Amino acid sequence: MSMDQELTGAEIVLEALKDQEVDTIFGYPGGAVLPIYDALFGQNFLKHVLVRQEAGAVHAAEGYARSSGKVGVLLVTSGPGVTNVVTGLTDALMDSIPIVCFSGQVPSHLIGTDAFQECDTTGITRPCTKHNYLVKDINKLPEIIHEAFEIARSGRPGPVLIDIPKDIQFAKSVYKKKSDVTFKSHRIKSGSKDIDRVFIEQLINHIKKSQKPVFYVGGGCLNSGPQASQELMKLVQLTNIPITTTLHGLGCYPAEDEKSLGMLGMHGTYEANLSMNQCDLMINVGARFDDRVTGRLDAFSPNSVKFHFDIDKSSINKNVKVDYHTNTDITFSLKAINEYIESNGITFDELQYKNWWSQINEWRDKNCLHYEQSDETIKPQHAISRLYQLTNQKDTFVTTEVGQHQMWAAQYYKFAKPNRWITSGGLGTMGFGMPAAIGAQMANPNSLVIDIAGEASFLMNVQEIATAVQYKLPIKIFILNNEYMGMVRQWQELMHGSRYSESYVDALPDFKKLAESFNAVGVRAKNLSELDDAINEMVSVDRPVIADIWVDKKENCFPMIPSGASHSEMLLSKYDKENPENQKKGKVLV
Amino acid sequence: MSNSSVYPTPLNTFKQSKRSVLSVIVDNEPGILARITGLFSGRGYNIEALNVTVVDIKDNLSRITIETLGEERVVNQILAQLEKLVPVHSAINLANLKESYEAEICLVKIQFENEQQNNEILSFADIYRARTVQKRQFLVIYEISGTSERINKFLDDLHTISGIKVEKVRSGPIGLGI
Repeated sequence: MSMDQELTGAEIVLEALKDQEVDTIFGYPGGAVLPIYDALFGQNFLKHVLVRQEAGAVHAAEGYARSSGKVGVLLVTSGPGVTNVVTGLTDALMDSIPIVCFSGQVPSHLIGTDAFQECDTTGITRPCTKHNYLVKDINKLPEIIHEAFEIARSGRPGPVLIDIPKDIQFAKSVYKKKSDVTFKSHRIKSGSKDIDRVFIEQLINHIKKSQKPVFYVGGGCLNSGPQASQELMKLVQLTNIPITTTLHGLGCYPAEDEKSLGMLGMHGTYEANLSMNQCDLMINVGARFDDRVTGRLDAFSPNSVKFHFDIDKSSINKNVKVDYHTNTDITFSLKAINEYIESNGITFDELQYKNWWSQINEWRDKNCLHYEQSDETIKPQHAISRLYQLTNQKDTFVTTEVGQHQMWAAQYYKFAKPNRWITSGGLGTMGFGMPAAIGAQMANPNSLVIDIAGEASFLMNVQEIATAVQYKLPIKIFILNNEYMGMVRQWQELMHGSRYSESYVDALPDFKKLAESFNAVGVRAKNLSELDDAINEMVSVDRPVIADIWVDKKENCFPMIPSGASHSEMLLSKYDKENPENQKKGKVLV
Repeated sequence: MSNSSVYPTPLNTFKQSKRSVLSVIVDNEPGILARITGLFSGRGYNIEALNVTVVDIKDNLSRITIETLGEERVVNQILAQLEKLVPVHSAINLANLKESYEAEICLVKIQFENEQQNNEILSFADIYRARTVQKRQFLVIYEISGTSERINKFLDDLHTISGIKVEKVRSGPIGLGI
């Protein structure tokens, strides 16, 4: 098209999406976005996925973003359309997921009149987005969209919302290409690519001096891109330092590698948490000292020198005071460190951490993830272990809902690569997993995408199974069905005298029939002998599948650091009892 | 702060905290003030005083001055959170500068009943060099500027005069560093 041809606001949105190389958009139409939906009609570069409720669109965009490393995009209408995505925007903000949400708004002249389906969208979403816009001038629309994408993906990524009144969607202006927009540096705040040499020298000195070092790696490593994982692997191999990852760090380092201690934190491994507790050098790469990870703060890793790599300055010294920090993008900082080691011919003594590794191996011998599988009832841990055994040779992505099944998935499904594990960590959003699986499958059409779910979480966004069926997305919903909100029940058992207030889910649907009614496939395993067949059938069918796996109803998730306890006060099984003083203090925490 | 609030008043909580004056340069765009006040309320920080005005019409910049109470660690966290906001150019704590200067302006309306009160008011106004903005029978409006502390003292002294009615408005501190 000619350079100064005028386009409508709706056409500008589409043109900008094309310019941003967006190929998939999740959404749900409504009055205030009809012009954009009209522009979508009859074009073919952009695939629109019609969800069944807007919450599905935002989680699908998150799943798409996490599994592809690209920005996830969604389109919703004004009022209830956009209030339905508030949870997902908050989720993306907490877990640093780049998404751009377009919302329709009532025409400019009706704003403030309590018009039909009007709400103060920018007001409501201000605290749950990295940034948001209300477009008041059609001439600014192209720049706003390009800036929104840049903000979403740069620095610490996050959700950005653009609210477009209906009259702006009809108004005309000249489109401005992405390459013609100059971003103001103070508004983008991307991470630095240069690292202070003194920081590197200090780190190397401390590694050389240390007797008991540990890497503590989080989602920031993932967000920095796949090269960050490569550099991390190199550094770990060079230094022989053990590594533990947070829930979001899973996959940044191969879980099956001998240097990996597994996940740390509330349901982390014994060896990971004790290493954190007793280390003399902690190297935090892209993690934020979250309360699920630190446990009681005043007892958190009391004797370590702490290094912190985080692109977000506000993460430094927020919860835990650190000794050294850098805000450089992790890929660049790790690369610079590896290069420094190589170019200066620095070598590390293999025996330096001999005692530390033998201590760690003693902790490993506790075998903290051990469970007793009987002949009959399926243990949920076993279900995940079998799922892992039967699918790990495939190109697999795993999403989860939130609760016990999520923690078991984190413990027993071993990830070897980044971006394969998509879960709601910071916000803990039940109902996240299935729509996230839809997004991941859209981004990876030939891969196996499994949502490891609990029956309670699954029911929160159950309507999206219709989306999977409509777009022939062969996602697998692997439900560990224990008829309880398992994690709620576990806390009630441990902290509220086993008074299971409202955590039993009566009147569950028949998940097999439910699947069939949606034209999906239902499979079921009621006992151990049916488990492998159910998994194999689920994986082999090229259609959406709901697998209803009946698991032990009373199983709890261990190890566990109860709220208010420290890393050294871990419960390893139901036979361990919590210190009553901690219990009193922990009860008021989350 | 009045104790008739339905919320517990935070005065005691912040007793140990230091007073800081933060100076924030922002793009003057819709919603910027809401972003900043929302950040404070959402994260449980404290705003003692707030002042916002456009300072650069050409580049469309505003300067926001915020007086807050908090431990140093908290104030540093506030600055880091402010700097994350997209329209924020810079956020500094004036106390961290080598040299900085503060001023505040206050208007005081005083209603009195007799000549003795008037004389006491006049003597305080003279000591503090308050400027007379308006004077009627039994009513005077003064303007006083300077550090917040100086204004506090003037107001405290006025309150020692019995039987007068005092109404005031304050701009909150503003400041500049060198």
